[in-house]
Amino acid sequence: MIGAGRSEAEGRRGLVDRCIDAAAGSAESVEKWRRQRRTLERLPTQLADALFHRLLRRGLLYPTLLEVFQHCVEEVDLHGENYVDAEWMAYLGAFRYMRILNLEGCRGISNSSLWSITGMTTLRELDLSRCTRITDAGLEHVLSISNLEKLHISETKLTSEGIRRLSSLVNLRVLNLGGLPVNDQAMTSLQVLTQLEYLDLWGSKITDQGAAMLNMFPKLNYLNLAWTSVTKLPNLPALVCLNISNCTIYSIFEGDDTVKAPLSKLFVHNTTFFDVDEAFSCEKVCYLSVLDLSYSPICNFNFLANTRLLECLDLSFSQMTDGLIDLVASVGFNLKDLNLSNTKVTSQALCLLAGNVPNLERLSLSKTSVDDASLQYLSMMPSLRIIDLSKTSIKGFYYLEGSKLDKTSSVALLQNLVHLENLNLEETQVRDEAVHDLVMLGGLKYLYLKSDFLSDISLNAMSSLTNLTYLGLQGAVLTNQGLYLFRPPAQLHVLDLRGCWLLSMDNVASFCKDFPLIEVKHEWVKTLPTDQNVQLGSSPMHRTTQEEKLKAKAKKPGQSQCRLKKDHFADERIKYSREDLLELQFSSLSDMLANLHTVLPKGLMKE
Amino acid sequence: MSPEMKKEETVKLISAEGFEFVVDKQAAMVSQTIRNMLTSPGNFSETQLGEVTFPEISTPILEKICQYFYWHLQFASGKETEFHIEPEITLELMMAANYLHT
Repeated sequence: MIGAGRSEAEGRRGLVDRCIDAAAGSAESVEKWRRQRRTLERLPTQLADALFHRLLRRGLLYPTLLEVFQHCVEEVDLHGENYVDAEWMAYLGAFRYMRILNLEGCRGISNSSLWSITGMTTLRELDLSRCTRITDAGLEHVLSISNLEKLHISETKLTSEGIRRLSSLVNLRVLNLGGLPVNDQAMTSLQVLTQLEYLDLWGSKITDQGAAMLNMFPKLNYLNLAWTSVTKLPNLPALVCLNISNCTIYSIFEGDDTVKAPLSKLFVHNTTFFDVDEAFSCEKVCYLSVLDLSYSPICNFNFLANTRLLECLDLSFSQMTDGLIDLVASVGFNLKDLNLSNTKVTSQALCLLAGNVPNLERLSLSKTSVDDASLQYLSMMPSLRIIDLSKTSIKGFYYLEGSKLDKTSSVALLQNLVHLENLNLEETQVRDEAVHDLVMLGGLKYLYLKSDFLSDISLNAMSSLTNLTYLGLQGAVLTNQGLYLFRPPAQLHVLDLRGCWLLSMDNVASFCKDFPLIEVKHEWVKTLPTDQNVQLGSSPMHRTTQEEKLKAKAKKPGQSQCRLKKDHFADERIKYSREDLLELQFSSLSDMLANLHTVLPKGLMKE
Repeated sequence: MSPEMKKEETVKLISAEGFEFVVDKQAAMVSQTIRNMLTSPGNFSETQLGEVTFPEISTPILEKICQYFYWHLQFASGKETEFHIEPEITLELMMAANYLHT
């Protein structure tokens, strides 16, 4: 079955994709075609771009090879590639048709290396975010690219003096200045950029004075002012998306204008409001579809009654309670995504929501005090696809009224939810018995069950969930025999067994060998490349950091006191008392660390 | 089998150099472009004669394309083999495949 799935994907790949794969097969293959200059010149852009980026991902691209692409590639995405330096830039400068250049996070890019893209008339989009060596001196080269429409230059070393000079790029539509010291003086200079539609100023030094100038941008539809000291926002009639997280706000969109912003996305994560009702008056919130109120200190949620188009509402870590939830229920009709994690809501809140949220697809109740009674209310939310109940006191069963003996399965109630495919029950009080009832939820694709109390019984029950593609059983007390007898569902793609400390290395290895298409996550498998891409991408630097981490771990005291040979784990846990098991838990870690750098069994090596 | 029937079942693909490849219609239909040419309504010469000329595709590349058509049919019917592409022809084959929507 699994084999069939793979060849189906193989069969769907077209000849074009196969050719790109073959061309980027190895350094030798590249040598075979790189002299075909005339063919390369005729290569359609989308093919050239695809070949270019596949070579890049496989580590086969080097500066002198860039030359063959200078007539055909239009989009270059090198983000995060630290080895990109002045030599690369010199070749990229000769790309005659380059429209987009993404150098985000390329720490090798210096001011002088930007010289080669000076005056490049074809370039429309440039991303230099997190290029930490770029200063005002480097900006000179960027300013010469007069056709630039999109510029991302956040988290570089630019000063407000340098930022003022951006005013010469009059075609800019998108400008990302996040994390830069933009002040009110700089804003004064930038006022001439009247084409701006997108402006990111998070963490800048602008004050209300600078914010008042924002209405000089008539087309502005995206604005991020998070982490600034702005308290008053002028009316911005075109604004669609606003982020004022971590600010203290006195007023937004004040002014005489009758036209108010058609705001559809608002992010007020941890934002303090002077007057909530004023800030969120009806005409300001009536078009909202996305609202992020996470960590919000506000207690007055009356404005929610006006947000009738709301689809996505994040209330995590907010002051939402059972008493206020009817405000959410009243605008629940369009809700698709609701996050109530880490709030004071209980099952009572879900009782009020049930029946009012017919379109709700995703609900998070993580770390709330909901219990098994909530599951019957959840079963009345017909569109639910994703439910997060992690870190709650869900047990998976409840006692019928008046009886302390008559147990009834509560998870079975979720059977009504025909769309349910993702269920998170990590760190709940669900035990083997209740997990067995989960088998009734045949549509599940993702199941998270991290728990210290689940055993082989739970693992084996999962064989019947035929649609399961992801199974997380972190920390479970699984034995070697349990894993050996486990018949994974045909679609299973990932099996997360991290922290299942009773499993031996040989046992995990033989499971990996028997089911090569399942990605097993376990301490024994950690150091191995999960796929070819990782293998090719692993630089020496990457490896040292991993080693350092492991060394740091090994240094922790108390873990190496009791060291046992790995053969000992083959025994059943019945042989040990609880104290023994706890000791073993620590020793398995140190034992694993000792073994990591020695020879691995053949079964663990990727074929 | 009458000649008319035979014409129905095969198509003639002609390379830039004028070399003719006669292949099963079913195989040629792996290419979305050829499928459109052969099934489009109206009196296009391609539809009528069952002949398609590719002035941009050289003989060796068209041969490889034809091989791919048959390999694709085999693969679809369950015979799993590798389709090997020589690195020397990858670029030209890529362009031809792109044009043919294969």
